[in-house]
Amino acid sequence: MLEVRNISVYYGAAPALWDVSLEVGPGELVCVVGPNGAGKTTLINAIAGLNRVRSGAIVFDGRDLTRMPSHLFCGAGVAIVPEGRRLFDQMSVLENLELGSFISAAKAHRRESLALVLSLFPALEAKLKNPAGSLSGGQQQMVAIGRALMARPGLLLLDEPSLGLAPLIVSDMFRAIRSINQRGTSVLLVEQNVSMALGLAQRAYVMEEGRIVMQGHASEMLERPEIQKAYLGIEAP
Amino acid sequence: MSWPSLNLLGQAILSGIFIGGLYGLIGLGLGLTWGLLRQINLAHFGFVFLAAYLSYQMATEWGIDPLATLLVLPPLFFLAGAGMQWLLARFEITPFNSLLVTFGITVVIESIIQGIWTADFRRLETHYNDQKFTIGNFYLPVPELLTLLLSVAIAVLIWAAMRYTDLGKALRAMAQDGPIAAAFGINEKGMSLMLAGVCAALAAVAGICLALTFTLAPSQIFAWVGVVFAAVMLGGLGSALGPLVAGVIIGVSEAVTMAVTAPSWAPIVSFSLLIAMLLLRPDKVGR
Amino acid sequence: MNKTVAAILATGALMASVPWLGLPAFYESLLYLGCHWMVLALSWNILSGYSGYFSFGHGAFFGIGMYTSAGLSGNLNWPFLWTLPAAAALAALLGIGLGTVVFRVKSVRGELFALLTLAITFVVGTIVLNTRIDGGPGIYLNAVAVPALGPTAPASLYLMALAAAVLSLLLAYRIQYSKLGIGLFAIHDDEDVAEVMGVPTFAYKLIAFGVSCALAGLAGGIHALFVAYVTAGETFNITVPLTVVLMSVLGGTRHWAGPAVGAVVITGLLYYFTAGNNPVAGRAAVGVILVVVILFMPNGILGYLGKARRKRSAPARPAAVATAAPAPSAPIAQVALRSSEVLLEVRGLSKAFKGVQALDRVNLQVHRGEILGLLGPNGSGKSTFINVVSGHYEASGGQVIFEGHQLTGLAAHRVAHAGIARTYQIPRPFAHLTVRQNVVLAAMFGGARVSQRVAEHEAAQWLEFTGLAGKGDALPDDLNLHQRKFLELARALASRPRLVLLDEVLSGLTPGEINEAIDLIRKIRDRGATIVFVEHVMRAVMALADRVAVLNHGKLIASGPANEVMSNSEVVTAYLGAAHA
Repeated sequence: MLEVRNISVYYGAAPALWDVSLEVGPGELVCVVGPNGAGKTTLINAIAGLNRVRSGAIVFDGRDLTRMPSHLFCGAGVAIVPEGRRLFDQMSVLENLELGSFISAAKAHRRESLALVLSLFPALEAKLKNPAGSLSGGQQQMVAIGRALMARPGLLLLDEPSLGLAPLIVSDMFRAIRSINQRGTSVLLVEQNVSMALGLAQRAYVMEEGRIVMQGHASEMLERPEIQKAYLGIEAP
Repeated sequence: MSWPSLNLLGQAILSGIFIGGLYGLIGLGLGLTWGLLRQINLAHFGFVFLAAYLSYQMATEWGIDPLATLLVLPPLFFLAGAGMQWLLARFEITPFNSLLVTFGITVVIESIIQGIWTADFRRLETHYNDQKFTIGNFYLPVPELLTLLLSVAIAVLIWAAMRYTDLGKALRAMAQDGPIAAAFGINEKGMSLMLAGVCAALAAVAGICLALTFTLAPSQIFAWVGVVFAAVMLGGLGSALGPLVAGVIIGVSEAVTMAVTAPSWAPIVSFSLLIAMLLLRPDKVGR
Repeated sequence: MNKTVAAILATGALMASVPWLGLPAFYESLLYLGCHWMVLALSWNILSGYSGYFSFGHGAFFGIGMYTSAGLSGNLNWPFLWTLPAAAALAALLGIGLGTVVFRVKSVRGELFALLTLAITFVVGTIVLNTRIDGGPGIYLNAVAVPALGPTAPASLYLMALAAAVLSLLLAYRIQYSKLGIGLFAIHDDEDVAEVMGVPTFAYKLIAFGVSCALAGLAGGIHALFVAYVTAGETFNITVPLTVVLMSVLGGTRHWAGPAVGAVVITGLLYYFTAGNNPVAGRAAVGVILVVVILFMPNGILGYLGKARRKRSAPARPAAVATAAPAPSAPIAQVALRSSEVLLEVRGLSKAFKGVQALDRVNLQVHRGEILGLLGPNGSGKSTFINVVSGHYEASGGQVIFEGHQLTGLAAHRVAHAGIARTYQIPRPFAHLTVRQNVVLAAMFGGARVSQRVAEHEAAQWLEFTGLAGKGDALPDDLNLHQRKFLELARALASRPRLVLLDEVLSGLTPGEINEAIDLIRKIRDRGATIVFVEHVMRAVMALADRVAVLNHGKLIASGPANEVMSNSEVVTAYLGAAHA
């Protein structure tokens, strides 16, 4: 469904991603892990159309998205839950959700989508009129995910959703993500919390310093010594 | 200082409300582009006066009712505003440089106006001028009343649009976080053009009202800059109702000051308010 | 005497001979206007162009000067020349008074400062109009005797304006190349970083404002006699501020002579057009020129020429950076390596932002001569720690004690003077200063606080140390990320700090560049500095750190030797997540 082929992204003259390729099949839940500064956010922003790709291609559902202007990515079926949530803080929760379904294809089903989001995150029902910036971290994350769901995407991109959240809330959220995936939406998840990410995903990629250094089935990855070294700097004895 | 009669005071307050309405109407377009597009568009004043003069021309030379010009001029100015925005967007200008560039454009517009209509004072004489309503001891002149009604109606309309329509919400989102708004399908370029066009159309409406209520002279363009900026900054950048409310407050304070002391003390009101606002609550003024 | 100063004085002397050439009085008036605008534009630029605080209030101080001279000579019968220093002094005093209030409010910068100063103009004008200073009718100066400096009255006025113009040129030139000027240009590019590097930003802005207002007052004083009839309406309006901005931007705000060029060009253009048949077309043309210049030459005429000259003379350089040269002989500080003496101590340090507790009662000691790694997952508070210790942010609670002195609550430039330096994770060089000037500034304003000449020498040393010797004249934009990170290092070291705080210096570098950086950091410690560095590249942490401290959610959860800490189960959980341990 999603094919990223050998993309490179530069910040000015400095390369942030080197020759990165990955795939997400229909209905798959794939995660990308790696230490900080590895380029995970750069990668996901490129797939969402927020970063320009200097070389390589991004193909989604058979369409080449690489050179498209940013505002057309959503219509193509890609929705993002950005790092740090980036909600429209001064607007209400409901307005944030409505904006998720701004594109005409999603607007037609706005009411259904809203019902779905509220069924996934019932706590938001009471907060619909509140300004998004006034919610707690966990609730804001729910709104961010909800906003992306309102776009009725074929591919949901999540960038470090557990950042700054208490473990209990993280578990709830990951359960919601699993449920979204089970309903048929492909998910690409970038995460710092390695064990939870690998517990959720089917396949995983590991990034380090702008490249993919490892890939495979999620279940077997956590035991590998390379992960320990990358994250903790501990060499295997 | 001498306290005027209650009657005089009341009439002063009334005239303050009326001129406040005009401040708000002029400031509306200015505040929207400043708050939502981060551009300080001094050319807005040029547009207002150009529309005023055009309305004067059409009414005086061609006998068209000034209210009819409300149907003709705003659409034309919409195109002009969008066109100017399109040109300026091709250069990446800082907000401050946008101030300077639009100042230059205003100087050009002022010169064009002076070239065509000379520096002489021009007064749009219509049958509206002498009409007024009377409530008790107070006079409500029709042109001023019309201006106030238009100002309130338009401000409320824009407020409602920004609040309740998808387009309005998209504009607000775009102003808060352009890239993420784009990620959800909001086309920043297109929106900016549309907004600039609407604000220019608003300038045209303000200009027509100006022509109905004031004597025109090219030298007057820059006289409005200070007080309208004060209304916009006090009312809040990007707000639809703010400049109107602030404009009325400024207008009334000015009028009362004028009635109680001397007319020449009036400017101190708006500018002192502005200075106080900037020093005490700068976070409310900036975005 | 400096060549430029001599040139200015010579030109002034030459121009002073004009009145004796027997030209019609018209030309003297024209020359007067040219000089008059030169003074106004040059003085405006000293604050606004150099520091970036664009003021729209120049008219207020010009007006104060005008009314001071008019009032003193017209109403109180002072001899005219004595009114000029009074005009300058009063304008300067009011400017400094205003600045003392306004410059303290952090968020009043850019457009807000411009509008506030515009409002001041109208307020002052209204006060002048309505009080006994003017009262309405204006002030007549027909009875005031024009000092007989030249053969005729217009000539004398011209000579006074010429003297003021020469004075302004000299001041603008001297300031640009002085410590004050360098500080102002740094403020222009990044005021917060300038403050952290040791520039006393508040004081400098005040001085520049004072000089600027004084000159404006002087111009106003002279102009009072020129127009001979002073009214509030003609004085306190938007014309002076806007014209002055136009002239400076046209000529180039980053060059001391730019406003003078702009003043001459605009005065000439206005004369050319108004002397012709169509003054209105003339004004329109000036408007068009302004638009075109701002759009295509945002740095003004002199800025454009300067850039063209730099492009022609600089040959294309290869992107590769020379490996760091062997360390210069002088050490940073005479200290024993790795002692147990406590250099920096934080006690109960807390920092909260709108509802987020970024630092939560952190207690930490840094020993002299050690390299301490500060670690933790994203969002754990590491950068906040550096920001608070360096004075970039104010702490919400707790204390910072450095070499036994309390640093808590001090302005950032004082923290720099105490001997602490930092780098930024995303490099924040002063974009309009060259690589060398960036380092020179740090040497001049930081803890070492040396003179400009010594600073140039220091800068050369540190540029070599970090391998940037060949790039001294380049602008930061021309460097790649690796070089910009090393520029951050050179800047931090140039102030000869005892404590260096490094914020993710290695992120974004290639493996080879990382190795180079590790070597460099070791060398820095060997020369006597103590280092605290925030890092994610684990092999660097393992290679460099004597001790490691780990933050999570703003709290310190472990500290000690690297290997021990990284095997601590709480640390492992923080990094990898709950399921693993």
